[in-house]
Amino acid sequence: MENFRRKSGIKRSIIIVEDEMVNREILSNILQETYDVVKAENGKEALEKLGSGERKYSLVLLDLLMPVMDGFEFLENIKNDEMLKKIPVIVMTAEKQAEVKCIKLGAVDFITKPYDMPEVILARCERIIELSEDKSFIQSAERDALTGLYAKDFFMEYIRQIENFDNSRKTDAVVINIDHFHLFNELYGRKQGDRVLKKLAEFIHEALDEGKGLSCRSEADTFYIYCDHRDDYEGFIGMLQTQLDSLEFTNHIRIRAGVYQGVDNEAIVENRFDKATTAANNIRGDYIRNIAYYSKEVYERALYQERLIKDIDGAIANKDFMVYYQPKYGIQGDEPKLRSAEALVRWKHPELGMISPGDFIPLFESNGLVQRLDYFVWKEAASQIKKWKDEFGISVPVSVNVSRIDIFDPELENKILNLLEENDLEPGELMLEITESAYSENADRLIEVIGDFRAKGFKIEMDDFGSGYSSLNTLTTIPIDVLKLDMQFVRNMLKNEKNLKLVEIILDIAKFLEVPVVAEGVEDEEQLRILKERGCEVIQGYYFSKPVPPEEFTQFIIKEKGRIS
Amino acid sequence: MLTVQNLKEFGANVEEGLQRCYGNEALYIRLCGTIPTEKKFDELAAAIEAKDLDTAFDTAHALKGVLGNLCLSPMYEKVVDITEYLRARTDMDYSKKIADILADRDRLRNIAE
Repeated sequence: MENFRRKSGIKRSIIIVEDEMVNREILSNILQETYDVVKAENGKEALEKLGSGERKYSLVLLDLLMPVMDGFEFLENIKNDEMLKKIPVIVMTAEKQAEVKCIKLGAVDFITKPYDMPEVILARCERIIELSEDKSFIQSAERDALTGLYAKDFFMEYIRQIENFDNSRKTDAVVINIDHFHLFNELYGRKQGDRVLKKLAEFIHEALDEGKGLSCRSEADTFYIYCDHRDDYEGFIGMLQTQLDSLEFTNHIRIRAGVYQGVDNEAIVENRFDKATTAANNIRGDYIRNIAYYSKEVYERALYQERLIKDIDGAIANKDFMVYYQPKYGIQGDEPKLRSAEALVRWKHPELGMISPGDFIPLFESNGLVQRLDYFVWKEAASQIKKWKDEFGISVPVSVNVSRIDIFDPELENKILNLLEENDLEPGELMLEITESAYSENADRLIEVIGDFRAKGFKIEMDDFGSGYSSLNTLTTIPIDVLKLDMQFVRNMLKNEKNLKLVEIILDIAKFLEVPVVAEGVEDEEQLRILKERGCEVIQGYYFSKPVPPEEFTQFIIKEKGRIS
Repeated sequence: MLTVQNLKEFGANVEEGLQRCYGNEALYIRLCGTIPTEKKFDELAAAIEAKDLDTAFDTAHALKGVLGNLCLSPMYEKVVDITEYLRARTDMDYSKKIADILADRDRLRNIAE
């Protein structure tokens, strides 16, 4: 920066405010080679010149005793002006006593009278301008423009500086996120989202007041806090949450925090926040816990997840992912009839063994990788339907999962239509399961996509109905063909009258809307009987079969073929 | 007409004065040439005459700055001396001090002519 300043030849403007012509001329003679010098005979004239906007001033050289408006009054005036107070002022005085008063009024340096040697005056002016420009540059870069908290790089640097002077304090690294903030932005608009971020920043800043810590906005809805160690953060996070809850312009905003406690100050600053982030990510989507503390378990889980993320592409290529099929039976006739199947993915990792879908599906859903996995399953399932058709002459429609992120893929329809074409299938043979939560994230897009698919003859199933934030409204606004009752309903319906009643109500509504219901997780005869009596048309669950590899599934097709003939 | 030589003879520290003017001799001579007609000498005398020590201090202080920058000692030293008495608003007879200062001013005026 300094080199640039010198080499660029930019001539900055300086104003000399001095009533004595001799003094003005001497100073001007010293400075005019390096600066554009403007002269004023008193404070009033100087204020007029500074405020005219004709040029940008880099420095004021100010005499104190002047007629009309003296130096003190001038300093008082610019102190209250947002723009002018940024210009550094060097006071020229022979009066030691005046210096304290001038400093309090904002002067940054002094030049004594009689003047020092020209070289000294020039060097002083240059140094003050340089400091002032650096300070102004730092001030504009050190803060996050939206929230006014520190920008991330400065935040990290200030922590290093603090610890350079005192690294004996036990401190914590805290990361705060807003749950589903992108969703909030989508629903209420970016402007409203920014208001929330500003408010949260304000609450954090207030909570850390009195030098109890530093805070920054790292990115989007992520805030970092560096503070003295505390044993638990229930109170701290609880207070922020309460303040957010009290905001009038928004519905419920939920924050989650990851904490790396009692930080080893030797550790690299950024790493501490990475660890706090890992802890926070660990409770993403967890509606019970909103604070997670970094621990060895959290670390190992993060490592494990990293491994899975790293291995997904290889696993798809090597077919370590396998598609299993669980049959769905129609139960309204005298005997159960094979209606279709659901494709479910399994991962047989060459080193880690069988990995539970619960370990990798939510992980891949959270980072979008599920899109690759979904496509793999669609491809496998389409090819399997064709194989069964070719081998047994029977079409067994298979339903596949369409994740939330797939809905936003502009190529979604083409990808699925191509698979049908490659395998010579009809749209009705590959059914699409969409989870209810996809609706809450972008209803318009979802309704559009579903509408397009249905117009082409696809059957749309709403998966896991009732498992998340259910809304009966969903049923009337999304055009679906099948409703899949979440297995929790089935498991609980025999536990008490209330649960059973709930299932009956859902079945009644579905009947009213003329949408058939598939009950998931049916495990015994009693459950089947009750669901059948109440009009449920299709059953899926261990009562008939667990998900099985395609070669085992053929037994159901053979049996069905025998039953038909 | 003022020259480096006669200013030296007057008692000015010309070398330092020129340094302060970045070696610009013409400027230094020109600025020294404004001193014989400087109104503040008479204003100082008038203020003291009127016992207006506040105005007298401000005026002496201003003169001190100018003379110091031009290194017009010993006139400068005399003004420094009176400024300090005036700073303390000392109630005393200033006539001798004023006369000495004005005499120096007149001497410089003569040289300049």
